[in-house]
Amino acid sequence: MTQIDPAQLKTSITVPSWTLGDVGRRTPPDIYFEQLWKRRHFILAESRAKVAGTTRRNLLGYAWLVLNPLLNGLGYYFIFGYLLNTSRGIENFVGYLLIGVFFFQFTMRSVTGGAQSIRSGQSMIKAFSFPRAALPISVVVREVMNFLPTFVVMVVVILLFPPMENITWRVLLIVPCFALQVLFAQGCAFIVARLCHMVPDFVNIIQVGARFWLYASGVFFSIDRFVEQPVLTAIMKINPMYSYLQIVRNSLLYGVDSPIWMWLLGTGWAISFLIFGFLFFYRGEETYGRA
Amino acid sequence: MAELDPRARDASVVVENVHMSYTVRTSGSGSRRPLDRATRKLLGLGSKERVHALKGVSLVARRGEFVGVIGANGSGKSTLLRLIAGVERPDEGRILARRQPTLLGVNAALQSSLSGAANIRLGCLAMGMSPEQADAAFDEVVELSALGDAVYRPMGSYSSGMGSRLRFAIAVAARPSILLIDEALSTGDATFAERSEQAMSQMLEDAGTVFLVNHAAKVIQDLCTRAVWLHKGEVVMDGEAEHVAEKYRWWAWNLAKGNHETAEKLLTQAVEEGEAESVHVLSTSPMHMEEPRHSSRVRISPRHRSRSVVPEREPIPVRRPTIETDMLPVISENQIVLRPPAEETPVARHAKRR
Repeated sequence: MTQIDPAQLKTSITVPSWTLGDVGRRTPPDIYFEQLWKRRHFILAESRAKVAGTTRRNLLGYAWLVLNPLLNGLGYYFIFGYLLNTSRGIENFVGYLLIGVFFFQFTMRSVTGGAQSIRSGQSMIKAFSFPRAALPISVVVREVMNFLPTFVVMVVVILLFPPMENITWRVLLIVPCFALQVLFAQGCAFIVARLCHMVPDFVNIIQVGARFWLYASGVFFSIDRFVEQPVLTAIMKINPMYSYLQIVRNSLLYGVDSPIWMWLLGTGWAISFLIFGFLFFYRGEETYGRA
Repeated sequence: MAELDPRARDASVVVENVHMSYTVRTSGSGSRRPLDRATRKLLGLGSKERVHALKGVSLVARRGEFVGVIGANGSGKSTLLRLIAGVERPDEGRILARRQPTLLGVNAALQSSLSGAANIRLGCLAMGMSPEQADAAFDEVVELSALGDAVYRPMGSYSSGMGSRLRFAIAVAARPSILLIDEALSTGDATFAERSEQAMSQMLEDAGTVFLVNHAAKVIQDLCTRAVWLHKGEVVMDGEAEHVAEKYRWWAWNLAKGNHETAEKLLTQAVEEGEAESVHVLSTSPMHMEEPRHSSRVRISPRHRSRSVVPEREPIPVRRPTIETDMLPVISENQIVLRPPAEETPVARHAKRR
């Protein structure tokens, strides 16, 4: 009906496009970042709302943020430390285990939250126009907010249990290490957010993948001691979560320096995942309204 | 270079030959290949079916127009509105707008676990307001929504009418110049109906554009200046609201009574009579720009926007929007025709770059 041919052109309305903007088209990256920056208050408010929303339904509320990893840690302690005795050769196993469980949980929650961010934000997406990257970002911001109080509890528990930790200035290294972990988690959240929007079945794969990842990161056993094949050891050590956990353990429990390759690996993964994840998510910007 | 079409004057929303189809899962297993059918049955999936929701819709909405979109269920009304809002992108065709349109959908709750007040704040911030602006807008939103103390209750406990009232109030708080209403207001009560009408007529006075989707001819006749009748994804009629809505009502009445032949006749009659607009978007500007002006890569110094380039005409007085919705580059005709205003304009965020 509206094929453009010269005869038709006379009857059709000619509209100049340069006074108007394309609706729903994603903006160039620099403007996108500017818009995101403008939405920083929205991101904060959204993540606060989510913190309040997720905990209100339970009887114990916020306490579950701490109870869940503690109970998990107890379970792992019983099975692996006590029955299977993976704790041999690990100094201060309680501390080792708790750091693993708490810090790994942060990454896991960010990834699963990111996977659902588009679906749970669907009503916001339909109602308002904002850079959609605000949703996965607010998920990670929420997890950081959740993590800080649980971290305090974790430190208290570790200090209560003998043996005594060797506290040095290296405790401060936890901060940059955690920052790297947050960036890495953000990159993952971006990637799974788009993947799960494209293929909803992916949510199931994440569940299984998380289990593998947990084992491959040496949360409750020492990789050096139990994995014999050098290739497998290498693969598990390239995994950034291993580096993040080890750096925190070295800094908080043992008061020793971490090898430089752990820092390099952690930084490299964090930066490259963040950049790749963002670009991947950004390319799908126009599709997120389509449920 | 063609003359600027007088009918394109004041265009605020341009829909050019838009097609849209969805893939939906149906419960029947319609696939012809037996293997395919077997696997689908095994996995508990229905067969897929393509629904062509819009088949080449074109229209130009101008400033100050109140456009009613009318049609039977499933005629593509809501799809059209979602596309204009930019929530989804069309498969084919283009949709252009002067400003980011605001969509009011039917699903009332935003975040149902949060209170109405928290939703107001979140909504305002999502539209790009600063916390101060959001606080300033809060009272206005509460007043317009007429919810009273109910704003502090969780939105999940609202009735659908209360929910849509709140959403309408949030949307109006951002002073949108293009508002798209998808049957959202039909659930409000009489007091609210009056308030919302006031708010909308204020918008139209400020040279805004309102789209209203409804399947009731009465509502369209009462409120709108122009009506577009959609049927199975195509424009049947486009014209004066009173006239189009009357035709539609007569058609729908016959259909409901089971007079399918008469209804069919009326439909063909309407198609012949109705003037569906056909739109052609000029993609290159007279300044030989490869990219549209709002593209960030193009930077034009103000002196290139001289009077000789764009046909001169009287600027339309536009109330400056109090709050900036930044998702769409904003270029008002005033800016193009006139020299840059002497005082600082808070209009386009892109204006800062020049």
